[in-house]
Amino acid sequence: MARIISMARRIIAPIHRLLPFTGLRTGMWLTLKTLFKKPVTVNYPIEKETPVPRARGVIALDTDACTVCMLCARECPDWCIYIEGHKQEEPPAKEGGRVRTRATLDRFDIDYALCMYCGICVEVCPFDALFWSPDYEYSEFAISDMLHDKDRLTDWLATVPDPPGLERQ
Amino acid sequence: MTTLDPHAAMQLSDAAVSIELETPDMTLNIGPQHPSTHGVLRLVAKVDGERVNSVEPVIGYMHRGYEKLAEVRTYPQITALVNRIDWVSGFANEVPFVGAIEKLLDIEVPERAQYIRLILTEMARIATHLVFTSSYPLELGASTPLMHVMREREHVLELLESVTGGRFHPNFNRVGGVKPAAGGGSTMKKQSQDLPAGFLAATEETMQNVLDVCDDADRLVTGNELFLARTVGVGVIPAAKALEYGVTGPNLRASGVKFDLRKVESLLPYDRFDFEIPVGLNGDCFDRYLVRLQEIRQSVAIIRQAIATIPAGPLRAKVPRILKVPPGEVYVRGENPKGEMGYYVISEGGRIPYRVKIRSASYSNISILPWILEGALIPDLVAILGSLDFVLGDVDR
Repeated sequence: MARIISMARRIIAPIHRLLPFTGLRTGMWLTLKTLFKKPVTVNYPIEKETPVPRARGVIALDTDACTVCMLCARECPDWCIYIEGHKQEEPPAKEGGRVRTRATLDRFDIDYALCMYCGICVEVCPFDALFWSPDYEYSEFAISDMLHDKDRLTDWLATVPDPPGLERQ
Repeated sequence: MTTLDPHAAMQLSDAAVSIELETPDMTLNIGPQHPSTHGVLRLVAKVDGERVNSVEPVIGYMHRGYEKLAEVRTYPQITALVNRIDWVSGFANEVPFVGAIEKLLDIEVPERAQYIRLILTEMARIATHLVFTSSYPLELGASTPLMHVMREREHVLELLESVTGGRFHPNFNRVGGVKPAAGGGSTMKKQSQDLPAGFLAATEETMQNVLDVCDDADRLVTGNELFLARTVGVGVIPAAKALEYGVTGPNLRASGVKFDLRKVESLLPYDRFDFEIPVGLNGDCFDRYLVRLQEIRQSVAIIRQAIATIPAGPLRAKVPRILKVPPGEVYVRGENPKGEMGYYVISEGGRIPYRVKIRSASYSNISILPWILEGALIPDLVAILGSLDFVLGDVDR
């Protein structure tokens, strides 16, 4: 069937060209044909598209995994990550042992007004504390609200999807 | 009743003809906020009525200083910056840059990574040319192609996003291959960032749709009387002039010069695939449109061959975690959808380059504007500007 149509097109098209207003007619014909098709666009706030699992929407933070090593903040191309931490002394594991110190995270802010979504921080994190989430609905009225603090970044963790399956090699 | 002496009448009419109105050239600023200049290009045009006597392009409104910025950023950070130069084809910008560093480090990229790079570069090319095919008729007054062609471009971008995570700014190339894993930690390191399941099948389907929409564009635009009237014979660039001004890419090929870096010297294994370089005859706006439309079809052919023969294997060569590049300088270029995109990287050792010079295609392509627009009509000016298909981010950097 497709073959017959393509043949017909090849034969009819040159004749078609000789008639007046061909450009107008072909354009309006396509408009008419697609007028009754289902639209490809999405009526955004009512319907939503699901982004692909790898989409770089927002960065989620796992505070338990973070060791305040500052690698992400140092590698960030536009320095939009702010980290503060302190050393906390913990009692020795055994009686008479050495007093241990543990780095504790006080502040972890990402300024999404500055972030360029390159993903270098997620990539360099050696302890799997940062993840990409495809969630994108966090626009704000004030630019200062684009600074997501530790708690807000942890909330995004729930939206991190499983990585997609891979194409067989 | 006095009769007019025929001789005197003759003199009178002569006098009337010889009186010329003093019409000084008007200086017309087109842009920087003008929709037909594709962004913030300003054209200072001296116009005599409808005719343009001279044009002086003023650029720099979008200068973001990427070359200077590259001097204070590490190599992986610059990879994230360079795909913002020509944002319509972000992926194609990264490949020559990482290629330059790989040349300095003398790293062999694994086969599979090369194929993935090639497939995604061609997708970026298709997306770029689909933007041209949809927006160029719009500039000449046809709005139907915009909707239909943009729809398929969106599908191509979805494919790019499913692999890289970004529609416009993939940041997927790494020195030595492609992005290997989602993270550096012990659990995430195991997850490779290979092509996601179903990608090859989805590509095959989308490529068929792209070919269909090219046929649609052929039917709607290529044979349209108004489109032909606006583009055929307008803005002719002879091959010699194009070479003089350093025009590259589809604009050069439309003038009849068969020069494509994919065939000449390429970082990617283009020599394994069977494809043709479309070449124009006259170098007018219509040829520039046709060459791009044909290039979409050739890119589809390349992608189809590549996904049929993509080899298995690792995605990234062994590269030290902290990348220190040995001293040296190198110029690596690649065929961006807009033309020749080259990076001259000077390293003095260490994590940061000493200097990165970016040779972007659009900058050289619009250098021909004063020559080509001299004597053109104002409506033709819009047609010529659109046909050169430049991106201001690529001009100003």
